[in-house]
Amino acid sequence: MKDIAIHSQEKDIREDLPWKQINTDILRSLDNPRRGYWYSIIVCLVLLAIGFTAEVIQYQHGMGMSKNHPHMWNLYIATFIFWIGMSHSGTLLSAILHIVHADWRKPIYRFAEAMTTFSLMTALLFPVIHLGRLWNFYWVVPYIPSRGTWPNFRSPLSWDGFAIMTYLTSSALFLYIGMLPDLAIARDNTTGWRKRLYSTLSLGWCGNDRQWRVFRKAYMLMAIFLIPLAVSVHSIVSSDFAMSINPGWHVTTFPPYFVAGALYSGCAAIITLFILLRYYFRWEEYMTLPILEKICKLTFAIAMMWTYLNLVEFASVWYGHDVYGKEVLWGKMTGAYAPAFWSMMFFGSVLPFTLAFRSLRRHIPTMMAVSILLNVGMWLERWMIVSPTLSQSFYPWSWDVMWPTLTSWAIVLGSFGWFGLLFLVFVKIFPSVSMYEVKEMVYHRKLATEKAAARVGGAAPAYGAHMKKEDAV
Amino acid sequence: MSSLQNLINNWSQYRKGIEEGGFHHYEHRWGMAIDLNACIGCNACSTACYAENNLAVVGPERFAKGHFMHWMRVERYWDQPEKEFPEQGASFLPMMCQQCGAAPCEPVCPVVATYHTPDGLNAQVYNRCIGSRYCNNNCPYRVRYFNFWSYYESSWPEPLNMQLNPDLTVRDKGVMEKCTFCVQRIRTAKDKAKMENRKVKDGEFTTACAQACPTNAIHFGDLMDPESQVTKLWATHQVSRVDEQGRPRHEQDKQNPELRGYRVLEELNTDPSVMYLERVRETLA
Amino acid sequence: MKKSHRLLGLFSNFDEATKAIYDIRADKVSGVSVNDVTLISPIEHPEVEEALGDRGVHVQFFTLFGGLFGLIGSWLWISAAQATFLVQPQGGKPVVTLVTNFVLNYEMMILGGVLFTLIGLLVGARLPSRPGTLYSEKISLDQIGILLEVNEPNLAPLKSLFHLHNVVEIREEIIR
Repeated sequence: MKDIAIHSQEKDIREDLPWKQINTDILRSLDNPRRGYWYSIIVCLVLLAIGFTAEVIQYQHGMGMSKNHPHMWNLYIATFIFWIGMSHSGTLLSAILHIVHADWRKPIYRFAEAMTTFSLMTALLFPVIHLGRLWNFYWVVPYIPSRGTWPNFRSPLSWDGFAIMTYLTSSALFLYIGMLPDLAIARDNTTGWRKRLYSTLSLGWCGNDRQWRVFRKAYMLMAIFLIPLAVSVHSIVSSDFAMSINPGWHVTTFPPYFVAGALYSGCAAIITLFILLRYYFRWEEYMTLPILEKICKLTFAIAMMWTYLNLVEFASVWYGHDVYGKEVLWGKMTGAYAPAFWSMMFFGSVLPFTLAFRSLRRHIPTMMAVSILLNVGMWLERWMIVSPTLSQSFYPWSWDVMWPTLTSWAIVLGSFGWFGLLFLVFVKIFPSVSMYEVKEMVYHRKLATEKAAARVGGAAPAYGAHMKKEDAV
Repeated sequence: MSSLQNLINNWSQYRKGIEEGGFHHYEHRWGMAIDLNACIGCNACSTACYAENNLAVVGPERFAKGHFMHWMRVERYWDQPEKEFPEQGASFLPMMCQQCGAAPCEPVCPVVATYHTPDGLNAQVYNRCIGSRYCNNNCPYRVRYFNFWSYYESSWPEPLNMQLNPDLTVRDKGVMEKCTFCVQRIRTAKDKAKMENRKVKDGEFTTACAQACPTNAIHFGDLMDPESQVTKLWATHQVSRVDEQGRPRHEQDKQNPELRGYRVLEELNTDPSVMYLERVRETLA
Repeated sequence: MKKSHRLLGLFSNFDEATKAIYDIRADKVSGVSVNDVTLISPIEHPEVEEALGDRGVHVQFFTLFGGLFGLIGSWLWISAAQATFLVQPQGGKPVVTLVTNFVLNYEMMILGGVLFTLIGLLVGARLPSRPGTLYSEKISLDQIGILLEVNEPNLAPLKSLFHLHNVVEIREEIIR
């Protein structure tokens, strides 16, 4: 009777998980992953090498390696938006779920925030790579100039600089501060260089009530800042297009559309990485299917939001009857880029319906494939934003279709290697599941279970007996 | 502190957009009038531009890829399909930087490499350009050209390098460039006039394209000078830029067939400095 | 008043530890006030902290200051930079473009807020510091610690209070 009341719903996490086991299981990721982890590292290194070679060639010879006259922006900017977009879900979802005290965030937010930080670092490469004279990229930074020259504070590109730097700083700090108590745990359980590293990074955290009180408030304040920040960052990236005068770019729905797309690809990426980490580190106890299901449902909702905003954009272009904009839209749907466009529509709006079925949501290989394909769709979306407009702008003389060159494909692939490498190194060095918060989660569940047990009249187990007897000294 | 003082003192001046006359008090506003009736599409203007401005000759392969550098291009449109041989019906449009008054390319440059001079020109500072190419993306006329390669390595094999114009630079890879209205000639003329303590006279100098045009289709001059030929042409055809006081442009009488003047993509409010005179066509009727 | 000893009791049962603090609060040990108590716990623990009574947190003032500083400071900075960099009049737009500067001011407000929150955290939580010699690794695992600074005569009654609540381990040191 009691069991039915409590266990009718599948649990996000077992409440009888011993705390000692939480520590061991998570800290095991620091030295004992499955072999698949090392294969992934090798794949990433190869991709990075390809991309790096292409970049060296492009640096030597010039941007002619990847661009031509009307296509001044191309894969690089599309991939830039893709990575920025991917960065959105981690910190934004973590912050939102933190504010509303959603406990299921706890096992998954750390790696999601790491994903944010590293995909931002990847995104940051692209505006630099795409510069004609990338050795002068720092001229966009508003350092105090000795000759009285400043960057152009009116250019959406320099807003990008501000927004990305703010977002990178804030989300890295959010990640770091949320990790402080875990670094202390790692400090207490390791030796050698790791101990020195964690001792320095944990700043001598000991978990006294003063620290926890300030921590709680500061962490909440940061979460509150990060939500509007994340929204603003992708709207600012959308300004690169929306603030220009080009047909197909100059669209007022772009900022919300970009934010929805960002959340979408970020959520899909969280699913991918969730499955990978679960596999690498044998974290079936922590990254449970109910949590995966919750992310999938969220992704489905966001996919529908994205679909809606996409259709609204088409509708407003169609009914606005701006000749140029309409031509670009029609060109996208029927012109040279039509295969990419319709693939994007399929991957972005039709494929997510797989997430609506419980049996598919719980089938890990399917979810792995779907989440990757969703991100392929989102990547195509970004390409379909950048290229069709450039190929068919105001001026008929400059109409031209350009397919990406080998060099740009290589650099795009290289960016995946770069991101993957950063991420994989991170999860090997830092605890990528929040130990202290999983303990809290287990503890909260325990209290809830006891309450429920008391309600149905059963004898409450000893309050606060959150550890196994044999662990007590 | 002094910069804050400056901000407060000149606040109203710094807040003037083009509608209120803008920040600049223009000394000159260089402009053009191109008579398409006279244009025979001979490309002399383009060739002259190549010679004057050290434009890289890219070769057919690169040209086909879209890596060309012709600041002045003569576009061909076959818009008279009723002709027996369509080739006969080509009409030409010489297209170069329109030196817009409210240029879309300017505010998007992240490093202020493109800006507006007190002469009313869009200046491109090669040294400052980092090659983000946003300006070209936002240019509705697509008249900006990017140095995709180090063209100088192959464009002027010996002894052709001897014919490079010493008055301006040879650009390396990674910077954007575009028509300057032969700013080196403008500079020389202004310096000479200043030395002789007079104003620049109309017709005293002209751009390379205008100079080379065999049919005199291109007229160049100062739109601020009420006596210049360009000003008069603009006035005749009732085309006007926003002036220094931000006075509204006067409406062109659309009913009058004599008024042939128009500016390309004027509906975008870019306020170009180049006026085209529409070609008068023979009708079969 | 400087205390002579530092005493740490480790509890494996959160409930017992809470009760121990309530006992100190109820002056069960004379001369020891609840204000001398520092609770050291492995997780964020509002339920137990309630026993300690109201202890203020001031990090939000740092945040407020940082946000305002970022907002106003960046507004002045960017406008002044634009006003001195007069080559900027472009695209027919004014020199100081308030509407677009707002985007940057917004970002800088958030950056200021976040950075000052970090400073507030470090100041408020007295970080970086050292965990102290009494610190036990069991705290970062699953035990809760009650740390007190007391004078010699209070040591024995406190220890017996701790034992009453099933303390797992008691550590002490002399404050030099």
